[in-house]
Amino acid sequence: MTEPIAPGWAPTRALGRSVLLTGLLLLLGVALGRVDLVLLAAPFAIGAALNLRRTPQSVPEVTITADAAHLVEGGAVQAGLTVANPEAIGYDLVVVRTKTSPWLRLEHADRPFAITVPSDGWAAIDLPGEARRWGRQDVGPAAARAAACGGLLTCRPVVTPAHGVRVYPVTEPFKATESMPAAAGLVGAHRSRRLGEGGELAGVRQFAPGDRLRRIDWRVSLRTRDLHVASTLSDRDAEVLILLDLLGEVGLSGGVEGSASVLDTTVRAAAAIAEHYLHRGDRVSVLEYGAGGRRLRAGSGRKQYLTVLEWLLDVRADPVDEEYEPVLGAHHISTSALVVVLTPLIDPRSADMLAKLTQAGRYTVAVDTLPEDAAPPVRNQWSPLATRLWRIERENVLGRLREHGVPVVAWAGAGSLDLVLRDVARMASAPRGR
Amino acid sequence: MLTRLLRRLSRIPTVVRRATVVPFLVRCGIALCGILALVVSWPGELLASQFVGLLVLFVLWPAFAPRGRGATFAALVVVGGWLLDTAGYDSRVALWRVIAIATLLYLGHTLTALAAVLPYDAVVNLDVPGLWLGRALIVVLISAVLTVLALGLTRDLGGEAFQVATLVGLAAATGVTILLVRLTRRT
Repeated sequence: MTEPIAPGWAPTRALGRSVLLTGLLLLLGVALGRVDLVLLAAPFAIGAALNLRRTPQSVPEVTITADAAHLVEGGAVQAGLTVANPEAIGYDLVVVRTKTSPWLRLEHADRPFAITVPSDGWAAIDLPGEARRWGRQDVGPAAARAAACGGLLTCRPVVTPAHGVRVYPVTEPFKATESMPAAAGLVGAHRSRRLGEGGELAGVRQFAPGDRLRRIDWRVSLRTRDLHVASTLSDRDAEVLILLDLLGEVGLSGGVEGSASVLDTTVRAAAAIAEHYLHRGDRVSVLEYGAGGRRLRAGSGRKQYLTVLEWLLDVRADPVDEEYEPVLGAHHISTSALVVVLTPLIDPRSADMLAKLTQAGRYTVAVDTLPEDAAPPVRNQWSPLATRLWRIERENVLGRLREHGVPVVAWAGAGSLDLVLRDVARMASAPRGR
Repeated sequence: MLTRLLRRLSRIPTVVRRATVVPFLVRCGIALCGILALVVSWPGELLASQFVGLLVLFVLWPAFAPRGRGATFAALVVVGGWLLDTAGYDSRVALWRVIAIATLLYLGHTLTALAAVLPYDAVVNLDVPGLWLGRALIVVLISAVLTVLALGLTRDLGGEAFQVATLVGLAAATGVTILLVRLTRRT
C-alpha cells in the first residue's frame, strides 16, 4: 500500500496533473453518465496507483572519485561520480551535475548526466580527461536530483562537496653545471674552493705530517725522489633559497601546452631548480615574497622535493598594498645560501628587495619570469606608446640592477643559470668587504 | 515579463547548440502524442477550420515548456474536443477512439513528466527512456483491457451506461481519495 512521502521528496506537477485529470474526468463521467470519460481517467488513476504503491524514503548518495596518484600537468585524470541508492525501490531517473576546475578537461563534465539507479545498488559515471595546469584543481561540487514513482515524486538536490585533485607542475629540464658560490655544509656534491677530502684534484704537494698514506702520489714521489701527496678540493653541499615574487600575476595562462603566465613560469621554474639541486644533494628552501610570506624550511633529499612540489600547489598571486612593503629582511636568509629570486620585476619593491639582498652580501640571482609578449591591455590609441615607455623603464631597472651586481637572467630552462652562477661564484671568491 | 521573454529568446542559440538527442526525441514524442490526440478527439469540421492553429499551439505547448501547466491545458483541450464531438456533433463513442485518446493522453502526460526532470542537454543512458516507456506501456495496456471490458459490459447491460459510470466513478474516486490522504500524511 502507498506510504507517506518522506521528507526530502516532493510531489511533482505530474502528480498534480494526474490527480486533477482523474478527479475532473470522474466527476464529468458521473455527472453526464458517460462511462467513456471515466475510462479516459483510468490510465491516470492506474498509473498513479502503480507508481505510488511504494515511495522512496531516502535520497541518493553521491560520491566523487579522482586519481590520487602522482599527477603532473598534461597527465591523464580519471575522475568519476558514483550515485548510490539505499532504497528498496529503484530511482527511475537521477540527474547528476558536477562542476569542475577549468584546468581539468573532463569528458562531458559540462553536461548533466541522466541515469537510472537500481534498488540497493549504485551507478557510476566515468569522467576521463586531462589536467591542464598545476595546482589544486577541484572536481565538484556535484549535485544529484532523483525522480521516482514514474516522475510523480522528485527529491531535493543532494550536493556533495568538491574533491581536490593535486596536479604537480611539470618540471622543465634544468641543469646548472657551475659551482655553487658558497658551498657550506660538510658533505655534498659541489666542488668547493677549499682543500679537503674530496674527489676533485687540486694539485700535488710535498708530504707533510698528518697526511694520509693513501693520498701519496707514488708516481710523482718516485720521479722526484721525495714523498708527494695529491691534494683534493673538498666536496660540500649548499643551501639554495628559491624566492618567489608573488606581488602580481601577469599574462594569461593557457595551460601546459599554451602560454605561460608569470605564476606558471615561477612555479615550473621553482620546481625545476628544486629538483636539480635536491638531486645533487643540496638543501633547498622556498620563500614567498608577498603578503603571506610562506616559507618552507631547508631540507634535502627526495622527501624535500615532494614537499616542495606540494608547497608550490598553494602558490597564488599575493599582492600587498602599495604603501606597504612585504616583510623580508636579509637577516632571514643564510649568508651562505644561493638566493634564486623568480620575479617578473614589474613592482618597484621587487627591484628594491633584490638590491638590498645584494647589498647585504647575499649571493643573489634574479630570474626574469615576465612573459615576452606581456603587455597591458589596449584601452585607447595611447596604450601602445605607454607600453613602450613601460618596457623602456623596465629595461632601465634591469640595467640598474646589473650595475648593482644583481645578475638578471630570463628563464629558459636548461643552462639558464650557468652564466650568472659563474659570475656570482667569481664574486663570492673575492674578499667580502661589505 | 518582456525582459524574461527576451532573455529566453536570446538563449535559443545556446539551447539549440547544446541540445542532445534523447531529450529532443522525448519532446518530439510529447508533440506527436498531442497532435494525434487532437486529431482523434476533435470533430473533423473544426480541425479543417481556422481554429486548428490555436489548437495545435495548445497541444505543442508542453513539448516546449514541460515544467509548466501546458500539459494540463493540452489534456483539457483534448477532453473538451472529445466532449464537443460526442455531445455537440453526435459522434458515436467508438471503442478505438476511447482507447486511442486514453493512451495518447497518458503517453503525453508521462513523457511530459520525463521531460520535466530531464535537462535538454543531458547525456542520457538509453535505459532511462526505455524503462520509462516500458512502465507507461504496462499502464496503457491495463487501461485498454479495462476499457474493452467496461464498454463491452455497458453493451451487455443494454446501454445502462449511467449506472456503470456511477459505480466505476465512485470506486475510482474512493481510490483517489485514499491515495491522496496517504500521500499527504507525513511521517
